[in-house]
Amino acid sequence: MSKLNKIAKKSTWVDMTAFVDLSFLILTFFMLATKFKPPEVIKIENPNSVSSENQPEKDVLKVSFDKDGKVFISFSPDKEGKEKAQLTAEVLSRQKGLGLTPAEISTFIKFSVGGIGVPVTQLKSFLALNDTEYKSFPQPGIPVSDTLNNQLNDYLNALLTGTGGRKPENVMLNGDNATKYPYFKNVLAAFKKNGIFSFKLITSLEGVPTGTPLYKKQREASK
Amino acid sequence: MGADVSAPDPGAHKKGPGVKKQARKDTKVDMTPMVDLGFLLITFFIFTTTMSTPKAFKLNVPDDTAKEEEKNEAKASGAFTVLLSKDNNVFYYEGQLAPDGSNFKSSNFKDIRTEILKKKANTPEKDLVVIIKPNETAVYKNVVDMLDEMQIADIKRYAVVDIFPGEIELINATEGNAPPAGGK
Repeated sequence: MSKLNKIAKKSTWVDMTAFVDLSFLILTFFMLATKFKPPEVIKIENPNSVSSENQPEKDVLKVSFDKDGKVFISFSPDKEGKEKAQLTAEVLSRQKGLGLTPAEISTFIKFSVGGIGVPVTQLKSFLALNDTEYKSFPQPGIPVSDTLNNQLNDYLNALLTGTGGRKPENVMLNGDNATKYPYFKNVLAAFKKNGIFSFKLITSLEGVPTGTPLYKKQREASK
Repeated sequence: MGADVSAPDPGAHKKGPGVKKQARKDTKVDMTPMVDLGFLLITFFIFTTTMSTPKAFKLNVPDDTAKEEEKNEAKASGAFTVLLSKDNNVFYYEGQLAPDGSNFKSSNFKDIRTEILKKKANTPEKDLVVIIKPNETAVYKNVVDMLDEMQIADIKRYAVVDIFPGEIELINATEGNAPPAGGK
């Protein structure tokens, strides 16, 4: 009888202090290490590379192409990026006779952070969308497959005309693993036509395989 | 006795009713909600975080409008051509493609590194040039992987070039398939 009582009275209290310590340590780590994912309209899986250089964030012109070959153009949300987006919209409107209003141009700047992927002719109606409609709008992508109607060329030409030939500091190419090569080639062709020959491809990091020349070179450099 | 005033008494003597109550007060706090909240936040940050920040891989392409004589200065002996096709197929040949296609070999992404390194070891540095020719069915990943191989093998000169019809035929013959739709 007395033995049974003893068991029933045993406290179920657990000291959680250590647990809390640990959980807040992890929490702090994640809070400091985190960097919020930018809102993406398109899903892209980048290939891997051994390059360890971080992706630049200032003055970026990014051209993305997804696995279906849809091409999108986007600018960084900083001052230079916004300025370039504005110039692109203004010149494009003038060159193609789109008649974009100042309000539509500011919409262009806003959408250009997430990505714009419509043919030039559809641009005006596209810019009439609001934020929520933009997110769900199935953008057809900028047509590039036809060499005569490579409209990425029109966008780039408008940009460079607007800036007076001043190129964005960082031209990034954001391609999906499964994009067929011809789309990549056509994107490159549009850039080449506008005198841009230097790119940065967005990739995920992978380790340098041991024993290769690059591996030896890096080890020698770190000694 | 006067002793219990100066020194602490190990015998657990009563010090008075008030003092005893204070000492016995439970300082334990129920931390369960705090832990709950902590882990909720951790979960939130884990899901929103991007641990592997994207990297930038530099690529410079030649100007197509460059003078013809400035191009093709690569010695045929130092050339190593890699052809990329669908399903991650890799083909290669050294130097110039033999008319009968006898030096046309098939490989894959694992073995091609050894071949490139072998070629690199056997060729003077200034003559070595790797030519990458993706066909219509190759994917972007293949091209970037191949460019990455150039970094790994520390190849100074490499170029991505359009494929020739003869080479496409050889690939098709090796893969045992009809030409892709449209006959490109």
